[in-house]
Amino acid sequence: MLARVLLALSLVPALALALCQPDGQDAYKVRLSIKTALGANAYEWNESEQFLFRATLAFAMRKYTGQETFNVSSVIVCDETPRVSFWFVVTNPNDTATLIPKNAVEEAIRLSRNRINSAFLLSDKTLQFLGIPPTLAPPSQPSLPVWLIVFGVVMGIVTTGILALIISGFIQRKKKDIEDEDEEEKQEGIMENGISCETLEGKEGVNNGAYSHDEDRLTQL
Amino acid sequence: MVEESRPSWENPMQFVLACVSYAVGLGNVWRFPYLCQMHGGGGFLIPYLIMLVVEGLPLFYLELAIGQCMRQGSIGAWSAINPYMGGVGIASVVVSIFLAVYYNVINAWAFWYLFHSFQGTLPWAECPLSSNLTTYVPECEKSSSTDYFWYRETLNISSSIEDHGGIQMGQALCLVLSWMVVYLCVLRGTESTGKVVYFTATFPYLVMIIYLIRGVTLHGALNGLKYMFTPKLSDLADPKAWIDAATQILFSLGLGCGSLIAFASYNHHNNNFEKQAIVVSLINSATSIFASLVTFSIYGFKATFNYESCLDRMQLLLINTFDLAEDSIKNNNLDDWISHLNASFPDKFATISSQIEGCDLESELDTAVEGTGLAFIVYSEAIKNMGLSQLWSVLYFSMLLMLGIGSMLGNVAAIITPLRDSAFLTRHFQKETLIGMMCLFCCLVGLSFTTRSGNYWFTIFNDYAATFSLLFIVLIEIIAVCYVYGLKKFEKDIEVMIGHRPHWYWKIIWSVISPVLIIGLFIFYIADYIMGGTPTYQAWDANLGKTVTKEHPPFAQAVIGLLLVTSMMCVPLVALITFIKKKKEQARESKISTTAS
Repeated sequence: MLARVLLALSLVPALALALCQPDGQDAYKVRLSIKTALGANAYEWNESEQFLFRATLAFAMRKYTGQETFNVSSVIVCDETPRVSFWFVVTNPNDTATLIPKNAVEEAIRLSRNRINSAFLLSDKTLQFLGIPPTLAPPSQPSLPVWLIVFGVVMGIVTTGILALIISGFIQRKKKDIEDEDEEEKQEGIMENGISCETLEGKEGVNNGAYSHDEDRLTQL
Repeated sequence: MVEESRPSWENPMQFVLACVSYAVGLGNVWRFPYLCQMHGGGGFLIPYLIMLVVEGLPLFYLELAIGQCMRQGSIGAWSAINPYMGGVGIASVVVSIFLAVYYNVINAWAFWYLFHSFQGTLPWAECPLSSNLTTYVPECEKSSSTDYFWYRETLNISSSIEDHGGIQMGQALCLVLSWMVVYLCVLRGTESTGKVVYFTATFPYLVMIIYLIRGVTLHGALNGLKYMFTPKLSDLADPKAWIDAATQILFSLGLGCGSLIAFASYNHHNNNFEKQAIVVSLINSATSIFASLVTFSIYGFKATFNYESCLDRMQLLLINTFDLAEDSIKNNNLDDWISHLNASFPDKFATISSQIEGCDLESELDTAVEGTGLAFIVYSEAIKNMGLSQLWSVLYFSMLLMLGIGSMLGNVAAIITPLRDSAFLTRHFQKETLIGMMCLFCCLVGLSFTTRSGNYWFTIFNDYAATFSLLFIVLIEIIAVCYVYGLKKFEKDIEVMIGHRPHWYWKIIWSVISPVLIIGLFIFYIADYIMGGTPTYQAWDANLGKTVTKEHPPFAQAVIGLLLVTSMMCVPLVALITFIKKKKEQARESKISTTAS
C-alpha cells in the first residue's frame, strides 16, 4: 500500500515533466535578457524568481479566464538553460492531466503583458515569449503634421519679404520718375547735343554702338 | 533722360563672398570626400592641388577678367570678344538654365528634411509599423529606416524611370518654396544678392566647425580619419585619379556657366580681381578638404556603429540559438565561439549559418557614397545615432540649404544678367517681372523632378547636363580668348584694369597647358562613353529593399543626347548665323555702293 502511494507520488512530478515538453503543442518558450536590460543592477535568476514567474503567469490566467482556481502549481516549467530561457505549460486546474490550449495562454499573456514585464523590471524586448509578437506602440500622429506648420511659417515670411521688396521697388521707381521729370524741367539749359552733362561725367559713359567692335565697317588699307 | 547705370556691388567684399558662395556648394561636401575615398585617401590631395594650380586658378582668373572687362553678361561679353563667339555665351546660358532647373530640387529636399527635423523622434530614426501593429513595414525592414524615409516617404520613388507616377505634393510644395526663396534673394539684383551672400557664404563654415568639433569627439570617428589620411600612393598611378581631380576642380569652381562673368560684370573697372581669383579658388579647395574631414569623422562613427551593431546581433543570435549565458560571448572572442560552436554542434549551427554575417570594420569604411545618397542617407543615419539628434539635424540641413542657395544665386545670375543686358527685354519688362517669369518657368519645369520617377531624371541631369558641355564651353572660351581675340590684346585689357600685365605663368597656362589638359579630358569622356555601352541607372526595388541596375530606355537616352547637344550646338550655330548675316550685309553694301557710284 505504502509502496503504491509512493509510486503514485513519484509519478506525479514525472507526469508533470511529461506534460511540459520543449516544442510541445501547447508549450511556450520564454527568454529573459536580464543583463541586457538592467546592466549592473541585474538580479540573479534563481528558484525564487522562477516561483514569481509561475505566480505571475497564474495571475494572468486568472485574469483572462476569470476563474480563481489557477495556482502556482498549474504552471509547469522545464528545460531551463543558462541563457535564462525555459519552456512552460499551463495545466487545467480542474484536470491536471490536460493542458490549457495555446491560444488561450497567448491571449492571457497578451492581456497582462505589461504586468508580467513590470514584475521582472523588463520590457517586451527583454522578456520574450517566442511565438507571441509584442504589440508595438503606434507612434503618436499629431492632427496636422509638424512639417506643414514649419513650412507654413517659412512660406509666410518669404512671401511677405517678396511683396515688401516688390512694393518698395515700385514706390522707389514712382518717386524717381517724378524726380526725373522735375530735373528735366530745371536743366533744360544745361544740355549739349541733347545729352545732359551729367551722363558724360559718369565713368561708364554712354555706350555708343557705332564704335563697338565691328572692324569690317572700317575700310581696309 | 538719364540712362540707368549698371548696378554694382556695394564693396569688393560682397563680390568675393558671392563668388565663394557660388563656388562652395554641395559638390565640396558630397563629391570631394567620395573622390578622396576612391583614390587613395590623403594621396588624392596631390593631383587635386596640382590641378588647382595648373587648371582651376588660371581659368577662374580668365573668366573674372572677361566679366570685369566687358561689363556684360556672358552673351554680351562673348559677342564683344568676337561676334562669331556669341554662341559661347548662349551655350553658357542654356547650361545654366538646365542647372537652375534641376539644382533647386536639392534645396527642396533639404527643406523637406529640415522641416521634418522638428519632431520628438526624427522620422527616419524608426521604421513605421505595418497595419496590424505587430511588425515593421517589410520594405523598411529589408533596407533601413533612413533608406525607407528617403526612397519611400520623401521621394515615393517608382521602380523604374518609365513609371511616372504623380507629382508628390510635399516635394512640389518644397520646390515652390525654394524658388520663392531664390526669387527673394535675386529680386533686386546686386542690391539684394550682395546682402544675402554675407549669410550664405559664412553660415556653412560655422556649421562645419561645429560639426567638426562634434564629429571628432564621436565614438569611432578616429577610424574614419585614419582611413582617410593613410595615403595609398599606389592609387595615384591610376589615370582615373588625375582625371577625376581635373574634372572636380573644373566643376567645383563653376567655370563655364557664365555666373562668374555675370558677377564680375558688376565690378568697378579697376577692381583687383587677380588677388580675388586666387583667394576664392584657395578658399574653395580648402573648404573641400575641411568638409572631407567632417565627412570622414562621420563615416568613421557610422562604420563603427554599424560594425558594433553587427557584432551585437551575432552575439545575440548565438546565445539565443545555443542558450548560452548572456555575457559569455564578448566582441573579442566572437570568432572563437563561432568556430567552437560550428565544430561542436554542426547540425544546429547549420540552421543559422545563413544568418551569420562577417562583421568587418574595413568593409564598412569602404562603402563609398557620393551625391544625394551621402547627403541624405548616410549623414541622416549618423545624425539619428547622435545625442540631441534634432539639433544636429536642423544645423546640418540648414547648412545644405545655404550651400545650395548660394550656388543657385550664381546660376540665376548667369541667366538674368544676359537677359537684362538685352535692351529689348529691359524696355518691355520691369526687372522684377523678368526675374519672376524666369523663376516661374524654371519652377514649372522643375516640378517634373517631383514626380515618382523624378529622382531618376534628376540623376540624368546631374550626370549629363553640365559635365561634357561645360568642358566644351571652357575649351572654346580659352581658344577664343587666346587665339581669336588675341593674348596680347587681352593682356593690355588686364593692364588697363589692374595696372600690371599678367605674369608669364598665366599666359603659358592659358595658351598651352589648359587647352591640352581639357582636350585630354574631352577625349577621355568620349572614350568612356563609347566603351561604357548603354547608360544605366540605379533603380530602387521596393521588394528587395535595395537598388538594382537598369538600362536607360530609348527615350531617356534621347533626352541625354539632347542635353549634350543643345548647349554645344549653340556655338557653331551662332557662328554660322553671324557669318550669314555678315554676308548679307556685305552684299547689301556692295549693292548700295554700286548704285551710288
